[in-house]
Amino acid sequence: MADKAILFDATRCTACRGCQVACKQWNTNDEVIPQQQDGVKEVNTGSYENPADLSPQTWIKTTFREIERNGKVRFLFNRRSCMHCTDAACVKVCPNHSVYHNEDGAVSYDKDTCTGCGYCVACPFDVPRFTKNGLTGVFTKMDKCTLCTTPGLNRIAEGMEPACVKSCPTDALLFGDRDELVKLGRKRVDDLKVKGFTNAYFYGDKELGGLHVMYVLDEAPEVYGLPKDPKVPPAAIAWQDVIQPMGWAVGGLTLVGLGLNYIVAREAKITRELPGKKEE
Amino acid sequence: MTNHWNDIANADCILAMGGNPAENHPASFRWIMAAKDKGAKLISVDPRFTRTSAKADIYAPMRSGTDIAFLNGMIKYVLDDIEKNPQNYNMTYITEYTNASYLINPDYKGPIELDGLFSGYAGGLNEADASKRNYNKATWQPQRDEKGIPKQDKTLKDPNCAFQLLKKHVARYTPEKVNAICGTPVDVFLEVCKTYAATGKPGKAGTIMYAMGTTQHTVGAQNIRAYGILQMLLANIGVTGGGINAMRGESNVQGSTDFALLYHILPGYLKMIEDSDHTLEKYLERITPKSTDPLSLNWWSNTPKYVVSLLKAWYGGAATKDNEFGFNYLPKNEVGKNYSHIALFEAMEKGVIKGLLVWGQNPAVGGPNSNQERSAMDKLDWMVVADMWQTETANFWKRPGVNPASIQTEVFLLPARSSYEKEGSVTNSGRWMQWRYKCADAPGEAEDDLFMMTAIVRKLKELYSKEGGPNAEAITRLTWDYGSGHPDVRAVAKEINGYDLTTGKLMDTFANLKADGTTTSGCWIFCASYVEPDKEPNAPIPGNRASLRDSTPDKFNVGLFPKWSWCWPVNRRIIYNRASVDLNGVPWDKEHPVIWWQDGKWVGDVPDGAQPPMAVDPKATKLPFIMKPDGTASLFGPGMAEGPLPEHYEPWESPIQNLVSKQQVNPAVRIWRPQEHGEPDRFPIAASTYRITEHWQSGQMTRNCPWLVQAMPEPFVEMSEELAAEKGIKNGEKVIVESARGQVRMVAVVTKRFKPFQMNGKIVHQVGLIWHWGYIGLSTGDSGNLLTPHVGDANTHIPEYKAFLVDVRKA
Amino acid sequence: MAYQEVEKYSKPVRVLHWFNTASFLLLFITGLILFIPPLAIAAQDSWTRLIHRIAAVLLVAAPVIFALIYPGKAARALKEAFTWGSGDLDWLKAAPAYYFLADESAMPPQGHMNTGQKMWWFLTVVFGVVFVATGAVMWFARDTIAPTGFLWAIFTHDVAFIVTGAMLFVHLYLSVAHPLMRPLRTGSWSAMTRGTVSAEYARAHHARWFEEITAATHAQAAAANREKVLVGSHGGKTG
Repeated sequence: MADKAILFDATRCTACRGCQVACKQWNTNDEVIPQQQDGVKEVNTGSYENPADLSPQTWIKTTFREIERNGKVRFLFNRRSCMHCTDAACVKVCPNHSVYHNEDGAVSYDKDTCTGCGYCVACPFDVPRFTKNGLTGVFTKMDKCTLCTTPGLNRIAEGMEPACVKSCPTDALLFGDRDELVKLGRKRVDDLKVKGFTNAYFYGDKELGGLHVMYVLDEAPEVYGLPKDPKVPPAAIAWQDVIQPMGWAVGGLTLVGLGLNYIVAREAKITRELPGKKEE
Repeated sequence: MTNHWNDIANADCILAMGGNPAENHPASFRWIMAAKDKGAKLISVDPRFTRTSAKADIYAPMRSGTDIAFLNGMIKYVLDDIEKNPQNYNMTYITEYTNASYLINPDYKGPIELDGLFSGYAGGLNEADASKRNYNKATWQPQRDEKGIPKQDKTLKDPNCAFQLLKKHVARYTPEKVNAICGTPVDVFLEVCKTYAATGKPGKAGTIMYAMGTTQHTVGAQNIRAYGILQMLLANIGVTGGGINAMRGESNVQGSTDFALLYHILPGYLKMIEDSDHTLEKYLERITPKSTDPLSLNWWSNTPKYVVSLLKAWYGGAATKDNEFGFNYLPKNEVGKNYSHIALFEAMEKGVIKGLLVWGQNPAVGGPNSNQERSAMDKLDWMVVADMWQTETANFWKRPGVNPASIQTEVFLLPARSSYEKEGSVTNSGRWMQWRYKCADAPGEAEDDLFMMTAIVRKLKELYSKEGGPNAEAITRLTWDYGSGHPDVRAVAKEINGYDLTTGKLMDTFANLKADGTTTSGCWIFCASYVEPDKEPNAPIPGNRASLRDSTPDKFNVGLFPKWSWCWPVNRRIIYNRASVDLNGVPWDKEHPVIWWQDGKWVGDVPDGAQPPMAVDPKATKLPFIMKPDGTASLFGPGMAEGPLPEHYEPWESPIQNLVSKQQVNPAVRIWRPQEHGEPDRFPIAASTYRITEHWQSGQMTRNCPWLVQAMPEPFVEMSEELAAEKGIKNGEKVIVESARGQVRMVAVVTKRFKPFQMNGKIVHQVGLIWHWGYIGLSTGDSGNLLTPHVGDANTHIPEYKAFLVDVRKA
Repeated sequence: MAYQEVEKYSKPVRVLHWFNTASFLLLFITGLILFIPPLAIAAQDSWTRLIHRIAAVLLVAAPVIFALIYPGKAARALKEAFTWGSGDLDWLKAAPAYYFLADESAMPPQGHMNTGQKMWWFLTVVFGVVFVATGAVMWFARDTIAPTGFLWAIFTHDVAFIVTGAMLFVHLYLSVAHPLMRPLRTGSWSAMTRGTVSAEYARAHHARWFEEITAATHAQAAAANREKVLVGSHGGKTG
């Protein structure tokens, strides 16, 4: 099956935030006013941007940035959610494979088996968010955008587009085969460059093996708050590529060594005891 | 709207002024983007850099309340450019379709001669006497020949012709003057002019998308007049991608206007009856425009047919020729008396109004000078509120700082249904009447508006029949034939369309309505919306054209979609479309034609008058602006309260003196509470209120929705970094904003998107506040309307929400 | 000579040992669940991670309480972990021959703990600190620390887990499963269960210690015993 993806065109987004609300509605998130415990403060902090951060109940949010260059103000809108990376750090580090790539290329997760261990903070985009058990203070489950493939709420399997895309009035969000959207995105960025947006950038084409949420930007990615050249962090690689094999190797060698010792030592003990040496 | 939402995609340039489509009409941006995809330019004119400005090709800052200076400057640019490059403009359109060539009364004098006033003013400069703040409009009229036809100079050279008078009038509005008044940088202003004037070329179209930022001023109606003049000069009316498009702020506010939820009209924009109209005949004589010009269709000459058909719809068998079709059952406005929103609350305060039905409104939050309006309600004996939520208005008696025990008003709350819980029609900004079906059951005892109104009417009929009362027959003889149980909304829709009483069948078109009492129509412009089933058999509800959902494109594929819903009048998607063609009936824009005279008939949209084009049959033809008595569009318009041409006056509360004349404010303005005038030395900061995407109107539908409260959790005031620094305010801090009428506590949003206005060297700060909040609901806070004044436009009396004075300080 | 016993580990020490054994095993198992995907299904709803935390609290609390009640014992025990000499090197040299070939000839006399025991005890103290430090980061600083810090804490925690996990097997094996440790009623098992070892055992395996504890009150006997030790020692063993 061809990989699916979302194409976000920042030049078309009006920050109406329909996507932010549609996501919550479809995924039944925040149906009551969220409390501060989830990191969501229901106050205006001097910005249109609220909630202040992603949360277990906020999987996508619109971001607002104001920049001023040569006396000209720009008001830049971006979309923050899971990027559904091909080289996904979260998938790499998830100890029990609760986070996985589904057949569409989206990074989905099995909430039943998620232990909330938090290793997926390895995400270079700082996306996974965790619910805390109010009583014990222990983080219980990770949550994030699944590209609307959450079991039971799977729009994609039903032939629909993700809720955020459905809500977008200006087609700033498109959903479809990744290959097609890559072509479209590249073309749009080329057009932007022709129009004089020399820093225009197509984000997600190559990053982390290709993202499944791609961005047509008329400025450099950093200006839109996206990390330039994101990487799976070394600690995540160390965990997956060093610690896991090392654990098996050391554990295995120890057991084998002890087993060998037992056989050899038992033999030696018997031999030594033959002359009738007294047991202590 | 002259055009409709998806027609915006046809525009070559979009002027978003006095409106913020990205934030307040987000779906409209789909069509703006579609236009931009085809290379259209978007211009955003706004005091602050908005989400619309973020997508605009040009952003022009403009101080609130200075639209006319800005627009007159644009008009001056166009007129100057017409002189230099007439080939870039549609001169045929200007001379043949507008009144540019009309010779005006030689006694007419304008602001140049009279320092800001027009001839005929009863008072003097800055007249304090309210009774003298009005005009005698005699000198504003065109000269007429012996047949009554306006005298014309088609060369447009006569110094007394409308074109030349306009040119002389706007000559004062140079780019430098515009800068001094509006604070718009000269280079940016010229770029706006150049870009928008490019739509004057035949075949090009520019559209103006506006909303309350244009209308909610003491000069609101003249702001629109300025749009009209600009669009006329650029030949942008009647064409695809053109027009003057009022983005309606509520889903059915177009419908509510059509059905006259206003004090000055009856359904279908028929003028309201006045107490001097002693008979139906006198009334019709007064309100029916006349023309002796054989080339003028003067559609409003049909007024008597519409009035009588309306009376027949209301009083049925009780409306006879003998009782003037029930004319005297109807209430009449007292001449010179005002019944607008502000006036009603002023009357309430004086104890004149004892009872109040509040239906789909929340004046305790949405009304100007809300403190006054809230306390005015204390004087009521009773109040009935029909709403889906507990509103601030329904709870005015327990507003902050008030002891409920001290208020004696009896308040009833009728639980209402949302649009998804009832069937009916909604008329959108593009005049499309779209049928909606009920898709969910309402909670509890919630009922639809028709049910509530019917229950009240039935009870009134019963009581008036039993007990009688003044003008009891106005109620007892009212027809209310919508079924005996739950009223049938389709029966109402049919009554709106009207019947031919001789056959008992639904009317096909308003052209067949009669003034003899043999036809009915509840709102003539909607006649043809609901016809006999065999006339529209394929509609989902046979005969009900509002239920049509056939997206087959129109002949020229310009996005008219004539089979999608139904559009008043007579399914004409772009009104004044007869101006979209040349004298031979050939479209100015052959790529995007609205109508086209082909093979002896009109094809395309329903033409504005079926007569042949002017050059094809000069005898049978009609002038294109059929709703105007003279058949032409008014560059020079004699009908307005404050003058035939738009003239810049400062808002009632302004930080500066008027720089074009000594007349400070609109000379015809009605001022209710002069004692509450904020002076610039005490309140030096200009302010405006506005809405945001995340909340809607007074907020009851959105402040009770967790997702939206989360998205925008608190009311805020936006200000520039410069002003914040001056006042020692940090972003996100709580501040107090105060006007002469009240104060609010809000979060400061300090932003680069507001810049101090550099006006001729003088710096003026402006702040903007939202007004969606109140003291009831999931999220509570202060409404920006605690600060707004009780002063309104001189014609419409719409409150001046958009320009007033405040001061800001740290809370 | 009559059968005699000497106390090797006092009751509080033994209680502490088994308490920590239990909590460590709990930590080990609940940690292992996160490490081995097929087991992770058992970690649903974070209850194993809750147990892990409870066990961690016990693991830390027990020695702290012990140290508060018996500061002297605690200080001595800690000192023991960090007291190393040339004898330890000799022990290491002799250990392979002893553990594989039961050849005790090169074994130097041992103190209260032999070198192997001391190594385990040393690792327990050092990695205990590592566990607690990184665990605290993961538990308490997750909201505040940079993700990289969190990830490196996990890394270090896991390294400690792997090393101590492997050592746990060695410890268990050498305490109760190694052929030379049979039967269990004498030696380490006895030392950590009943608290005592036979004097014979102590003399044979912890000669220096035995010497210390007998020197003061049984100087003579000790001298005689020393003779015996020197003549017929079986060497030390870990426990």
